[in-house]
Amino acid sequence: MAAEANNAKPTFLSPPQEGKKPIVSLRGITKRFPGVIALDHIDLDIYPGTVHALLGENGAGKSTLVKVLYGIYTPDEGEIIINGRPTRLTSPADAINMGIVMVSQSPQIIDTLTVAENIILGLEKYNHFVPVTKVYKTIREESKRVGIKIDPGIEVWRLSYTQKQLVEILRAILLGAKVLLLDEAITYLPIEEKQRFYKFIRRFADEGGTVVLITHKIYEAMDVADKITVLRRGKVAGHLDRKEATIEKIRALMFGERSAEITYERLPTAQPEPKTILEVKDLWVMGDFGGYAVQGVSLEVKKGEVLGIAGVAGNGQKELIQAIMRLRPVMKGRIIYNGEDITRKTTYYLRVNGVGYIPDLPAKYGVSIENSIIENIAVLPVYSRGIINWDKIRELTLKLIKEFEIKTPSPDTPVKFLSGGNIMKVLVARELTVATNLLVAYNPTRALDEATAIKVRKIIKEKVLKNKVSAIIASEDLDEIFQISDRIAVMNSGKIVGVFPADKAKREEIEHLMVM
Amino acid sequence: MVIVRRVKPLPYWIIPIIALLAGIAISVIILYVLMGASPAAVLSAIVYGFTRPGVVAKTFVALTIVGIALLVSFKGSIWNIGGEGQITFGLMAATWVALFTALPYINPGLAQVSMILLAMVAGGIWALLAALPRAYLGLDEVPVTLIMNYIAYYIVDILVRGPWLGKHVYNYIRTDTIPAQVMFPQVPGTTMTWDGLFLLIILFVGVWYLLRNTSIGLRIRILGNNPNLLRSSGISVPLMIIVALTISGFIAGSVGALYLGGDVYRISYPVEAHTANYGYTGILVAWLSMLELIAVPIAAYIVSALYTAGIQYQILVGGHLGQLLTAGSAIVDVFIGSILLMYTILITISEYKIKIIVKR
Ligand SMILES: Nc1ncnc2c1ncn2[C@@H]1O[C@H](COP(=O)(O)OP(=O)(O)OP(=O)(O)O)[C@@H](O)[C@H]1O
Ligand SMILES: [Mg+2]
Repeated sequence: MAAEANNAKPTFLSPPQEGKKPIVSLRGITKRFPGVIALDHIDLDIYPGTVHALLGENGAGKSTLVKVLYGIYTPDEGEIIINGRPTRLTSPADAINMGIVMVSQSPQIIDTLTVAENIILGLEKYNHFVPVTKVYKTIREESKRVGIKIDPGIEVWRLSYTQKQLVEILRAILLGAKVLLLDEAITYLPIEEKQRFYKFIRRFADEGGTVVLITHKIYEAMDVADKITVLRRGKVAGHLDRKEATIEKIRALMFGERSAEITYERLPTAQPEPKTILEVKDLWVMGDFGGYAVQGVSLEVKKGEVLGIAGVAGNGQKELIQAIMRLRPVMKGRIIYNGEDITRKTTYYLRVNGVGYIPDLPAKYGVSIENSIIENIAVLPVYSRGIINWDKIRELTLKLIKEFEIKTPSPDTPVKFLSGGNIMKVLVARELTVATNLLVAYNPTRALDEATAIKVRKIIKEKVLKNKVSAIIASEDLDEIFQISDRIAVMNSGKIVGVFPADKAKREEIEHLMVM
Repeated sequence: MVIVRRVKPLPYWIIPIIALLAGIAISVIILYVLMGASPAAVLSAIVYGFTRPGVVAKTFVALTIVGIALLVSFKGSIWNIGGEGQITFGLMAATWVALFTALPYINPGLAQVSMILLAMVAGGIWALLAALPRAYLGLDEVPVTLIMNYIAYYIVDILVRGPWLGKHVYNYIRTDTIPAQVMFPQVPGTTMTWDGLFLLIILFVGVWYLLRNTSIGLRIRILGNNPNLLRSSGISVPLMIIVALTISGFIAGSVGALYLGGDVYRISYPVEAHTANYGYTGILVAWLSMLELIAVPIAAYIVSALYTAGIQYQILVGGHLGQLLTAGSAIVDVFIGSILLMYTILITISEYKIKIIVKR
């Protein structure tokens, strides 16, 4: 369609000088949704040359705030002042014209196009009739500068989640971003990429760029940010400078008295029974692009214990978990659940026999965002056969909403209207309820805020200790692995390279095995 | 050229209304330019169509049922374009009951019910045949169901020219007329039948209950939104595809029985030239309803009013009876085509942006 006028973009970036005028100011920004005030008179100044972290519990309003800045939502009240001028942003195109670009947690790029084609889509200066190959050079140069390796000619569907996120960020930079809005965009990258990225962000800011960073990893925010703003229930709970920020202060602002519950101490070790609940024998499973992603894995989970699987993303954990859930064919080997060989059985068999499943990428595999919370719970075969007893499911839903503090106007609200973390809570709450015998999970606290993540781990551990439920939990978060596991298996290149009792495991040794 | 999803779609309920108004406006222009039709005459025909519920009733009942049928599969993102074939199969099954069994002479009431039920089973089987390759081979259901419409016509044509050719038809190629006792009784003052009215009510309530209160209904809706959730819940996605499409064909099939028992009373060769095209017009009804069950009758009323308007226009300008059918339906096609086109364009620009990139 018509190109947005390619008129001179305001070049408002003077060299970075502390104490200068803000590049973006929000005054009294208010945004209401049916039944909630997502943003309640927010005042915020963001200065050029800074990394500005935006923290807050699930549903605090962080995503809504950056969506306002990116022109996706129009505020009901208040003023956005960009470079000293009151500005109306009515679409992302407006924001991009002002040099504001957002990258979110889920990649938005188009699978059927190549990396270069995706990038050129947004670039007005290359539109419309410049051959794609012309931009290859630019892409290569720029990606080198950012410190990532990417082949511009590759089709996006072949890329991993990590690579897709890198393309998103590269695209934002090539769009000429002066202000980068990162909404949990790098939270789930593997450690190595993440660190490289934080370095880049730092450099970007030192060269005069501005970054608004949303993350639930408070330590990371404290490491990289110059300023920290904490949101709570749609209001600004406090602005902090790097120098004055301590973890206690931040947590207190984020969670109030709930912050006292936050601890990374290991949860009590379980005393498993001798009975084996899940056994995997010499398992071979294909990856998405050919080749074996799981190569001869054998492991065992006893009744009433948590087996944690540590590993860097993309080392076969996803395929292993999916094979156990019978969502991916087994090429060789056997899976035994509760004494029954399930290698040829269906997911249905597991689901009606006490197995709960938390997949990676919840919005893609674990919930249907167009459907309501209550429908997302009712869908499981254990809850609905033939005619649905809505009264019973409503009762259960209300109980879960309360127990997991899911922020929603009602159980009938479509899941897409919930915040990222609250979507995850719907999934986790549902699956913990059906996991009466075994929980199979991959990153079970992804997108949850610290307090909720720890609470979920406690609930899992309690079920393991009290009800003798078993759990196999793969996670890329070592803190999580250490906190919840009774035994830790390390997965690397499709193989289990070591199994340790968690109370004796050394963190350095496990980290070493993960990247070896 | 690529199509990109808008980050911010337009509010959705506006679209059918604009599409309707713009579609009518465009139709008036097309009819004026191409056929010299006076806009005033066209508009007064439209007013006539909208203000004669009794006249509109027969078309309204058929289109509502087809709309409901398609809605069931569309809810599951299964695009059943085969309503026409399923109706034709229903027509065939109902004809068999009426002409080739003794039932009409033994128990006319039971015969009428059997005509409808068997028509539904036939429509369901026809849809099932399209559902199997879709479910297990991933074959796109749109071309498959579309092609199966023509196969259905063809099968019925063979029957009508051969074994089913009537004994009292002079030189016409058609079946005999069905016995009077299985001609569906009319609701006085309207063009619809009691059978049609009851069926409509039963199907509307039934589908409402299905979608709302049964696990099948919930799963069809989730199939349309995120089949991955079904997979991870342990529910077979191929099975749900089959169920959605088969139910859709099952409901659509009943319209074949209504068409026979309440409208044409026999099948004339070639059947494709004598169809009311409800299977295709029903697609417009389903879309205009925005896949909300409550809106299906509303959309069906609007479309059937326009349908009636097309025919009324011909009467107003005084065409011969022979021209009337063909020209009348041509005008209907202009209306329906314009609205569907406007609808498609509006939906597309409200949800997608088109961008151009050059490969190589
Ligand atoms: N489109 C929407 N419609 C209705 N309510 C919404 C919408 N978007 C957000 N909300 C509500 O606004 C509140 C803030 O949501 P937001 O997504 O900004 O939270 P967040 O701070 O990003 O949380 P998280 O850490 O879980 O991602 C939530 O209560 C959410 O339910
Ligand atoms: Mg968020």
